[in-house]
Amino acid sequence: MRRVFAALFVVTLGVIAAAAQSHHSASQSPHFTGGFAPNTVVNQYCILCHSKELKTAGVVLEGLDFSRVGPNARVLERVLQKVSTGEMPPAGMPRPEAAVARRFTSWLVDALDRDAAAHPNPGRTTIHRLNRAEYSNAVRDLLALDIQAGDGLPVDDSGYGFDNVGAVLSVSPTLLERYLIVSRQVSRLAVGDPATKPEEEDFTPSEAHHAGLRKARNERVSDDLPFDSSGGTAFSYYFPLDAEYTLRVKLGGAASDDGPLPRYEVRVPVKAGLRTVGVTYLRESAEPEIVAPTSRDRFAPSPAPTPSLPAEMDVRLDGVRLKRFEVPHTGNLPRQVTDFFVAGPYNATGPGQTPSRARLFVCHPATAQDGDPCARRILATVSRRAFRRPVTDSDIRPLMAFYHVGRREGDFDQGIERALRAILVSPDFLFRIERDPARLAPGTVYRVSDVELASRLSFFLWSSIPDDELLALAEQGRLHNPVTMQRQVRRMLADPRSQALVSNFAGQWLDIRNLALSTPDPEIFPEFDETLRQAFLQETNLFFESVLREDRSVLDLLDANYTFLNQRLAEHYGIPNIYGSQFRRVALTDPNRGGLLGQGSILTVTSYPNRTSVVQRGKWILENLLGTPPPPPLPGVSQLQAQNHDGKLLTVRQQMEQHRTDPVCASCHVRMDPLGFALENYDGVGKWRVKDVGVVIDASAALPDGTRFTGPAGLRQALLNGHRDDYLQTVTEKLLMYALGRGLEYYDKPTVRGIVREAAGDNYRMSSLITAIVTSTPFQMRRTLENDHHQEVTPASHVSARPRDHAGSATARRDGASALAGQRPGG
Amino acid sequence: MVPALSLAKDPAANPAMRLGFVYVPNGIIMNRWTPIGEGAGFKFAPTMQVLEPFRDRMLVLSGLAQLNGRALGDGPGDHARAGATWLTGVHPKKTGGADIHVGISVDQIAARELGKTTQLGSLEIGLESPTLAGDCDSGYSCAYTNTISWRSPTTPNPMEISPRAVFERLFGDRESTDPAARLASLNEQRSILDYIAGDVDRLKSGLGESDCGKLTEYLEAIRDVERRIQMAEEQNATLKLPVMERPPSIPEEFEEHARLMMDLMVIGYQTDMTRVASCMFAREASNRSYRSIGVPDGHHSMTHHDNDPVKIEKVVKINQLHAQTFAYLLQKMQSTPDGDGTLLDHSMILYGSSISDGNAHTHDELPLVLVGGACGQIKGGRHLRFPSETPMNNLLLTMLFKAGLHPTAKLGDSSGFLEHLSDV
Repeated sequence: MRRVFAALFVVTLGVIAAAAQSHHSASQSPHFTGGFAPNTVVNQYCILCHSKELKTAGVVLEGLDFSRVGPNARVLERVLQKVSTGEMPPAGMPRPEAAVARRFTSWLVDALDRDAAAHPNPGRTTIHRLNRAEYSNAVRDLLALDIQAGDGLPVDDSGYGFDNVGAVLSVSPTLLERYLIVSRQVSRLAVGDPATKPEEEDFTPSEAHHAGLRKARNERVSDDLPFDSSGGTAFSYYFPLDAEYTLRVKLGGAASDDGPLPRYEVRVPVKAGLRTVGVTYLRESAEPEIVAPTSRDRFAPSPAPTPSLPAEMDVRLDGVRLKRFEVPHTGNLPRQVTDFFVAGPYNATGPGQTPSRARLFVCHPATAQDGDPCARRILATVSRRAFRRPVTDSDIRPLMAFYHVGRREGDFDQGIERALRAILVSPDFLFRIERDPARLAPGTVYRVSDVELASRLSFFLWSSIPDDELLALAEQGRLHNPVTMQRQVRRMLADPRSQALVSNFAGQWLDIRNLALSTPDPEIFPEFDETLRQAFLQETNLFFESVLREDRSVLDLLDANYTFLNQRLAEHYGIPNIYGSQFRRVALTDPNRGGLLGQGSILTVTSYPNRTSVVQRGKWILENLLGTPPPPPLPGVSQLQAQNHDGKLLTVRQQMEQHRTDPVCASCHVRMDPLGFALENYDGVGKWRVKDVGVVIDASAALPDGTRFTGPAGLRQALLNGHRDDYLQTVTEKLLMYALGRGLEYYDKPTVRGIVREAAGDNYRMSSLITAIVTSTPFQMRRTLENDHHQEVTPASHVSARPRDHAGSATARRDGASALAGQRPGG
Repeated sequence: MVPALSLAKDPAANPAMRLGFVYVPNGIIMNRWTPIGEGAGFKFAPTMQVLEPFRDRMLVLSGLAQLNGRALGDGPGDHARAGATWLTGVHPKKTGGADIHVGISVDQIAARELGKTTQLGSLEIGLESPTLAGDCDSGYSCAYTNTISWRSPTTPNPMEISPRAVFERLFGDRESTDPAARLASLNEQRSILDYIAGDVDRLKSGLGESDCGKLTEYLEAIRDVERRIQMAEEQNATLKLPVMERPPSIPEEFEEHARLMMDLMVIGYQTDMTRVASCMFAREASNRSYRSIGVPDGHHSMTHHDNDPVKIEKVVKINQLHAQTFAYLLQKMQSTPDGDGTLLDHSMILYGSSISDGNAHTHDELPLVLVGGACGQIKGGRHLRFPSETPMNNLLLTMLFKAGLHPTAKLGDSSGFLEHLSDV
């Protein structure tokens, strides 16, 4: 170590001489450097390691020409990022004074952004296959068929944390086979195929699967059920034809004293279409809720069941009671619904008048001769929407061939059905393809066509196809007009379809989708069940949606003083006076609960099944809010010890502190843990607690930069005060990535900064961010293919600079880690 | 690169060889897995005990390694590299995004040949939903942990987790399995494929390389399905479809889900719909909990046990549940007649992981068992130990050879054939 410092001293002297020299060259081009000589800073603090000879981390800064920022943008963006976060120069090396560093970074920002404005580089997105969510929505909007058709397709891979990244969405024979199968299902439902054979489908309320850990709570389980109901289930079912159907309920629990349970079924005529079916108990049928026995006394004799009257159970269709059954109790609770069967169609009378048919059949042939022209009209209308562009005769002709075959085999409807099936597997529907205009030189930057822009907009804001208004504007060539664009964005955000931003963007950005996979340990968190899981999801969805719909600042996501609760969730959070299962907006008086960091969804997905994880919570914040993910843990690194050497149970905090005595671990944990410590008052399912293993929780924390704070409210302030820019930049990067469907490159950084700057004037409102994105260079433009097939993107730059650099530094540390591991007894 | 293959014998000859690859994630507690003693006289360790009924049909293979699962300068990400290397023996490219790259997997190499006479080249089955959000392992794409089957170095095959979807893949989506209805359905599909194939060709013109790549993938998928349809038409008259109810979509309990999927895998082999299948009992780095056997904790979390006996015990329980599930598959195969023997007589089913010690993320001394008579080419009932760090790909290469495929090039990092599989 001493030798390094000695060498450093010598070099520093040398650098001063070099700096004096280079000042000369800088003065030759003052108009480029704005009177500031960035190379003096670089020469003094960087080139010791980043010399032509040493090339530390593959970066050479020696001799860099600062008068030509553009060609060096890739490396300079990295320099900018490293110096602004204070990561470079590394600890232990001479660092510029804060003011000098600031001057240096602001010079870089200015120069890079100016160069980007003069030479815009929008990048190039590849072909983009519709993902499952987009497929579902496209089918919904194309055919008025809201059946989540994409659920029948294999799960998509994701890149950069999003599943709409074109380059990652591949095609396999399995996928194609599923397309063939799903397209047939969809088109038969859309048309109402009279040949549909009766089938029985089994629906299980997912709650019913967790037998033994479920509490039969005396509350309404679904908003689709009437207010006085408790228990039971409700779901949407698409009835394919006007016909009779059998609805059957299977109940759990032992047979009653009077022998096996009868069949609870009802056969009724139902009009075709999407309807809500449900089964409920009347509230008075259920005894007041008893506290579920905890694991410890599970085997204690339960109190003798009080004899009670049979429960009254209703089977409902679209909220209307079809039939009431009397059901014998089991114990003192009504029997749980384990399965709900729908069977049919029987005695079908026709396809009915469904929204799908209304949307699809824009004409009805009165005579046989009308058949072909009408079919042509129908197929032209639907294929234009499906292909998201004007269609020509060469598009319609092959579809008509399908129509003729179907017509020959059956009737007019069957002809349409067959052609529809072809549309739904057509690459024009399944892929978003953008074409370079002919005769543009390679590498030319151009504005995408209005029709392409329409799809970019609708897939960004709706995860779906453009609607007629958007498409018409595009076809008329009016969409790119800034005023039109702005008006359309406003209209699209106000449309319920923009809910897609909540489920697809927020769901993935915030990892909320993983809530479905969370499995809190019922022994430790007996209060967690499906109802609570759904409530968590609902809360975060409604909250994000409120910021979107009310056009609030994205800062409110961290700092709002309100949330959305129902009775169940309010009780879980310890908030009084909220009654009923309906969600409503609730003003928060407790400063600790406000914002995303106080929500059960996020607190649960960042916990282990059986305990909180300070590390995962800290990592979540660094990754998703601050854009500086820590490197992953090293293999063989010691895990937390739940007990100390005397066998005494340790709090999670104590375990972490022990873990951090290992300097290798400490280097990263010093950034993660404080963030997580501040949230320790929330248990593994987001419930407030004051003690962990009997010890009062210490929620105080200090960041490496010395910032001190306590508890969730303190953490929030620390983030907003000290890391506001990191947060804003991260939100913008995530949203831009999602909007473009590609990873961000160094040349996108000026765009990101520009968007943040633009949104600043409007207090970072959602709409200002979104508007800035859709008017940005990469959203509006594209670059033609380079003809030398030179990949403009080197593999190394694929991962955004931050994670890669951390991974790199982790590699460096890894050797140290294995060396240590080798010395550890039994390691 | 894909090794060129020459066929040693007519693949249509009976009995047909079936290949299976069954993967378990996060390694296995090795001192409860590795048999005591070597050769024919070995004694089962507790985790593998449940495979005892198949003793004379199985080889326990110790000492093999997937060395490309190691960091080799790429830093953390052993789980991603484990999933990616198991059937490829190729070091995966570290990337979270677009440019995923590993090698074609051995099941797909086999499928290209063995699939020439079957309707489906291969079947890919998973028992756990892929990750839905977030990063999968240390900057590696989720593709590496979600699948073990790679159609090409850049195209992962998705693992199908819905029994109904697997059923429909095998037997179509018609309500009736009547041959005439089936034929009509195939004809419809064929005409749609003709239409979209023409469209793809039209769309490809004037597109850049990476764009074309996506459409080429689509075109290849079309050809694959077309070939399948043709095969189905030829075999339609003689095909005996099994009696099996269309299964539900995805049961929530692991055991029920697993049994259904194993049943489907066996039916796929039995009806000769396919001769190659791969299956992941959970995705790599899975943190699934197994409450039914008293493990409410996440699997991956528990494997970082740091020698805590309580955690080790929980991992052992999971290892045993998986082995038991595998035993169910073997039992089904053994009880399914096939030609002059049983399905198991005519197969090679490989079971194991690409990590041995899940706590330390080691990629050598891998837990592997090869079960099945391989049409008389494997002499079971033995525990074989190979020199440490022998490439596991030597085993994969040998399996290809025994399946009648004579690879003419290296397979991933293979250095030769594995000796002693058929002798004493």
